[in-house]
Amino acid sequence: MSGATLFSVSFDIGSAILRGIASVFPMPESGWITNPDVILGLSAVIFAAILLAASMLNTILLIWWERKLLGRIMDRRGAMHVGYAGLLQNFADGLKLFRKNTVQPREADSLGFYSGPVTYMVTSLIIFGILPISSGWNGGALPLTLLLALAIFSFAPLFIFVSAWSSNNKYSLMGGMRSAAQMIAYEVPILLAVVAVVIVSGSFDLTTIVYEQQNYWFWGPLFVALIVFVAGMLAEMERIPFDLPEAEAELVEGWNTEYGGMLFAFFMLADYLRALIGSILVVLLFLGGWTLPTWVPSGLTTFPLAGIFWFMVKTYAVFGLFVWIRASLPRVRTDQLLRVGWNRMIPLSLLAVFLAAVLVTVKCLPVFGCVPSAGGM
Amino acid sequence: MAQELTATEKPNENPILWVTRPMATAARQFAKSLFRPSTIVYPYERLEDPKFRGRLKVASGKPFGVGQVWDNYRGVHALNIATCISCNLCAFSCPDLCIDMVTVPGGDPKHPKKCPQIDYGKCSYCGFCSDACPEGCLTMTTRYELSTTKRSEMIYSPQKLLEVFQHKLPMNPIRLARPANEDAILLEPLLCIGCNACARDCPTQCITMLDIPKPEAKPGEKLPKRIWKEPVVNDSDCVRCGTCISVCPKECLFWGTRR
Repeated sequence: MSGATLFSVSFDIGSAILRGIASVFPMPESGWITNPDVILGLSAVIFAAILLAASMLNTILLIWWERKLLGRIMDRRGAMHVGYAGLLQNFADGLKLFRKNTVQPREADSLGFYSGPVTYMVTSLIIFGILPISSGWNGGALPLTLLLALAIFSFAPLFIFVSAWSSNNKYSLMGGMRSAAQMIAYEVPILLAVVAVVIVSGSFDLTTIVYEQQNYWFWGPLFVALIVFVAGMLAEMERIPFDLPEAEAELVEGWNTEYGGMLFAFFMLADYLRALIGSILVVLLFLGGWTLPTWVPSGLTTFPLAGIFWFMVKTYAVFGLFVWIRASLPRVRTDQLLRVGWNRMIPLSLLAVFLAAVLVTVKCLPVFGCVPSAGGM
Repeated sequence: MAQELTATEKPNENPILWVTRPMATAARQFAKSLFRPSTIVYPYERLEDPKFRGRLKVASGKPFGVGQVWDNYRGVHALNIATCISCNLCAFSCPDLCIDMVTVPGGDPKHPKKCPQIDYGKCSYCGFCSDACPEGCLTMTTRYELSTTKRSEMIYSPQKLLEVFQHKLPMNPIRLARPANEDAILLEPLLCIGCNACARDCPTQCITMLDIPKPEAKPGEKLPKRIWKEPVVNDSDCVRCGTCISVCPKECLFWGTRR
């Protein structure tokens, strides 16, 4: 997507639509159709629609990817029937869920019960909207994108707790409390690991962070931070070694026990959307985003949409790592989870920050030889 | 001296191994199943397909499940209508009462030919019917795919069973276990009226009506009103279906031991 940005593409689509309207219904030159606010508003709507479609499509493909990968690890095949290799299975499942009835428990708090899934979904969509996917696909383009993304990311315990509490179910409430405790425990190491990245790159803007990785990706020099970030993301996404909030052996289905049909689909989609966002953040912060190392042949990076392609390849590979971890490790206990979070992860992340500071101070990255860091304190 | 602990039991081992060892196992499993997972895509491929021959082996010698199904697997029945004698023994022997004898075309209009129709919604695949069949025309095949979306399609008419027969699937061995010789149809001659019902309905035509001499009426005695004939059963042809007993209007035929 060199040259064309996401907004310019939606601007082109919007102006094409307006030209079509003007050619079908003749109207004066000075009418509403030439008003710049109309074309800007229309392109903003198209922009949002493209982002929504991309996020939902990727989320559903992510579920397919997890099912196939997990199946192979378990010596199965995963979904096979609907579509080629089961590609459309999740669309069918989603359609089924959206057609189902929603049952509200007696004495559940309607406001919290219905607003919980919606806010959870919407906040996750906002994060996807502001993350840059390639040089042209940059919805946020703010100087503090990373900070904003992580801030919205940490809203989730509130909504989970609200929806769990208003379900009027003890299992939901326990799941919600576990979720809140776990997310708060792992929020701190994640932020400290991000601080290490920010120290080395010198910016909170994700685009800048990606371009700082042109010469070397950060996963090598900041390996400790990567470990902490991935472990923390596993806990934030509530994936299997840390999926205590929905431990189905103890709490029926955790905080979404009482949800069914469309509301459950919202939770499910938002969960996988957050998994997608977690993988995207790992790629952006540690794996060089949409850039490839300079030694790869230029044919691999110059075809149309190459940035988005390589970004998605990396994202799905990172999510494959999460699936691999899910297939391998058993669920930990609550006390183990919190002990690891507060006693191991925070010292490790502090160590990562310290290492980053040392790297920047001596202006030397040991893994790739002495390449001067472009950022700095 | 304390027993030596194995590597997995050592309490103070490196915690990194707790994570890396299961992940290595999962990766090995993944690499193995990437080429050929243990599951087969059932409706599209079957264990009987030749490509699975020899993949799974059992120690007892004969590979089971892969490449072949045992011959005595009890699946859908095959019916050879041509040799069926309408003896009703299959329906008698069925413990689930799932066999009805229905008329098939091609019989005598007075005595229509009846063949078994099987309701697989009730059938328990016990195989008693094919054991009881004296002509070996009702056997069980290795076909096991019966799922339908309608209950009415679970009822297999004789024509449908004949189609199964024409597929020439591997079948159960036909036993043709004729009953022991002491089970025979006996006659109480004083009750018989010589009505010919038994001979008419016998599926194997093993009953012949023989003339018996009409006794001289003594004075004051009235002879019974009857036809002066008596059934004689050819035991070697009789399949012991009991049709003659059930059709006899005077209940003069019964099971017994011929001496």
